[in-house]
Amino acid sequence: MSDVKSEFVHLLANYGHIGFTFAAAIVIGLGGGIYLDQKVFDGSTAPWFTFIGLALGIAAGYKSLFEILWLNKKQEKGSDKKE
Amino acid sequence: MEHPILFISIILEKLGLPVPHGPVGHTFIEQLCEPYMTYTWFVMAFLLFVAKLTLGNLEMIPGKGQNFWELVVGGMDSFFAENMGQEMADKMFPMIATFGLYIVVANLIGLIPGFMSPTASINTTLALTIIVWITHHIIGVRAHGWSYYKHFIGPVWWLIPLLLPIELISNFARMISLSIRLFGNIMAKETLLAILFMLAGAFFAPLPIMILGVLVSVVQAMVFVLLTVVYFSQAQEHAH
Repeated sequence: MSDVKSEFVHLLANYGHIGFTFAAAIVIGLGGGIYLDQKVFDGSTAPWFTFIGLALGIAAGYKSLFEILWLNKKQEKGSDKKE
Repeated sequence: MEHPILFISIILEKLGLPVPHGPVGHTFIEQLCEPYMTYTWFVMAFLLFVAKLTLGNLEMIPGKGQNFWELVVGGMDSFFAENMGQEMADKMFPMIATFGLYIVVANLIGLIPGFMSPTASINTTLALTIIVWITHHIIGVRAHGWSYYKHFIGPVWWLIPLLLPIELISNFARMISLSIRLFGNIMAKETLLAILFMLAGAFFAPLPIMILGVLVSVVQAMVFVLLTVVYFSQAQEHAH
């Protein structure tokens, strides 16, 4: 596979994926929080686990966003060394 | 949203088998006769048949068919080796290449009237994704042993309560996003084609979407394969 094409596929995979991953992370965090609040503790801890879950979900979303940025930086450094 | 005409479903109905009209069948036979199941079998049979037809007798000087497969397989192998090292690529090639070929054919088959993409059902894509997700953990455990858990706890010990849930959530988000992206893209293509076909099929309204559909099908299969490769190589490398 030529260099241009494989770089195109890389960009497409990373940046086409990040939107979905970001949303999925928030949904999982919020869903887990709501589940803990409503099902496990039966509503006695009502808003707290939801908020904590939401915060953790958003943090996880940002973490996967930064991971992609760092991955690209590492790859750039690696290719610089090769040259 | 279903295609108006599905050949395999019609043939099965003529044979007297129950073909469900809702999204989920009730009995075991009905579930086996779901369109996405029958078209999955069709894609598998197609791949086997084409491979047998073109690769029935391998020769030193390749003919047309063998040339094509050598190009496809060689291209994929060098692509995997580039991204996760030759040793891993040799080990995992059969699985990832099978997924890639299956997804390409399954996506493209929906463009032919009377056929349906099996990947336009969440069941198919979620099954593929769960296999990939479990495999990347198995690769991690085999590469690092029990110290694989260090991938999930971050660099310093006092950040564990914060970083462990974040890492777990983002790991599960991989599974959700990988399956829903493939499913969503292909189902959108199928639904759009069906609606345009019903509204203005006589005026060739679906044609531009079909051209885009070819692009989407190939690109989504490539993205699935590339992300699989990236996850496998990440599971294998050392924790940061």
